[in-house]
Amino acid sequence: MHKRNRWLAWVFLVPAMIPVAILMYYPMVGTAIESFYSTSFINPNPQFVGLELYRELFASGEFGTIVWNSCIWTVFVVLFQNLFGFAVALLLDRELPTSGLMRSLVLLPWVLPGVVAAILWRFMYDPQLGLINSFLVRIGLSGGGQAWLAEPATAMGAAIVAAIWKGFPFSTIVYLAALQNVDREQVEAATIDGAGAWRRLIHVVIPSMREVIVINLVLTTMLTFNYFDMIWVLTRGGPQNATHIFPTKIYELGFGQFRFGEAATYGVFSILVLAVLLALYFLARSAGGRRSMARG
Amino acid sequence: MRRSSTLGRAVLALGQIMLALIILVPFFWMVSVSLKPATEPFAIPARLWPDQPTLENYATAFRPEFRIYFLNSIVVSLSTVVITVSFALLAAYTFTRTQTRLILICMSLVIAAQMFPASAIIIPIYKLMRSADLLNTYASLILAYITVTLPVAIWMLRAFMARLPVELDEAAAIDGCGPLRTFFAVILPLCRPGIAATAVFVLIVTWQEFLFALSFTSTREMRTLPVGINDFIGQYGIRYGELMASSVLISLPVVAVFFLLQRQFVAGLTAGALRG
Repeated sequence: MHKRNRWLAWVFLVPAMIPVAILMYYPMVGTAIESFYSTSFINPNPQFVGLELYRELFASGEFGTIVWNSCIWTVFVVLFQNLFGFAVALLLDRELPTSGLMRSLVLLPWVLPGVVAAILWRFMYDPQLGLINSFLVRIGLSGGGQAWLAEPATAMGAAIVAAIWKGFPFSTIVYLAALQNVDREQVEAATIDGAGAWRRLIHVVIPSMREVIVINLVLTTMLTFNYFDMIWVLTRGGPQNATHIFPTKIYELGFGQFRFGEAATYGVFSILVLAVLLALYFLARSAGGRRSMARG
Repeated sequence: MRRSSTLGRAVLALGQIMLALIILVPFFWMVSVSLKPATEPFAIPARLWPDQPTLENYATAFRPEFRIYFLNSIVVSLSTVVITVSFALLAAYTFTRTQTRLILICMSLVIAAQMFPASAIIIPIYKLMRSADLLNTYASLILAYITVTLPVAIWMLRAFMARLPVELDEAAAIDGCGPLRTFFAVILPLCRPGIAATAVFVLIVTWQEFLFALSFTSTREMRTLPVGINDFIGQYGIRYGELMASSVLISLPVVAVFFLLQRQFVAGLTAGALRG
């Protein structure tokens, strides 16, 4: 667009910027404001209470449980989703007769609507009818009746496995595309120098994908930290808070009990986590930008 | 394309078989249970395929309220796809063609919003909808969905448009096209694959959106499919045959669209991811 048409540039931008400003940027501030007011189902008129809700939050043991659950959930889902996603990308990068077909199939879990995936896994984990117990009984590892989602000891692990199944295809597709961008000449040069497959992977392939890996880690961390559907449908945060994470707690407080203020204090912490991750994201991008400029 | 030894190929083939099982067994089971007659009991260990497959669960699942949920999902998703893609095209065009400092800042702000936690900001959004008297309407969902899908849509289309050379615009200008005509007659037709990829992405996201739909709709008449099927668990106890039949029906539209437009979709998604 020419300089004289700069006004037109803004006309083109306004339809996208207005909803994002009003429904995403304003609510970031709105959540912080909300956390200073107390409401409840019985007393729906907001009352200014200052930092009182934060004091109650830190005094309650629940906050610690939810931070801990969120950490376990996020770390394990992100780590294994990316490790498994990367391994699958390496597998599908090889030319086998079935690789093309598998590249199509691999996205299926990701395309499946989240609530449907959660219901499907709830059914897989069903103590009486579920496929998982059925399989364990058949191979003789269990007498059956294991209630994966109802036991505090296994519920979080079960939810994590389901989330990895749903999420790994996204990482696979991103890594597969990045693998296809790796400089073939460098890889061949390393082969000629006698580097085996493992050393080529560690010293040539992964370093050249570093930027994509970091960005994907940050993105999946944010998406996982805020992933509501899977846990809500599987366990609603139970049993005994064993699987409650930030988004499920916010929903329960806000829309289950109409305690908007308390829900907002949790929201403020989610936003802080976002701020840290965004800082990492832009650092990774600018570091990547410098590297590619250095390469010329 | 890499060649491997025979042993290596065998190991890789085994890996792909394992992968196929991990992906497909849950799907296979979903379909299998959806075809199981209500009279055939669940056996332990589970039988993998019903003796007498039947479509009766599908007939039961397609009850009147399910049709309402389906219609609601279609209205909300299609409106979102059309509006988001249009707005995103306009914005992406500006972001790739006019690069003043202020516009670049706006771009970073809009694109950063794709990571915003929906649950953390839902309460102020809910209150805005309530004061605008929009709760329990299509408008509340469409507005929320446009907002959450725009940042990613812009990100994908910008990566796509950045590959169209600026010389195209200049040539069009020399031929006497105004900027609007350049956009509509020259740029848009070239963006078709990018538009397809972005539309599929927005459709997949909105078709399954759960949190906003759960919070903003309060009557059965306004529920979308994900909320509807979640209600279905509590309402009737867990009748897995019907539940799995409903699950298949909900998944079919997105899975079908995905397979039809898969090539463009994957190219579009990864172009965005690789360019950052």
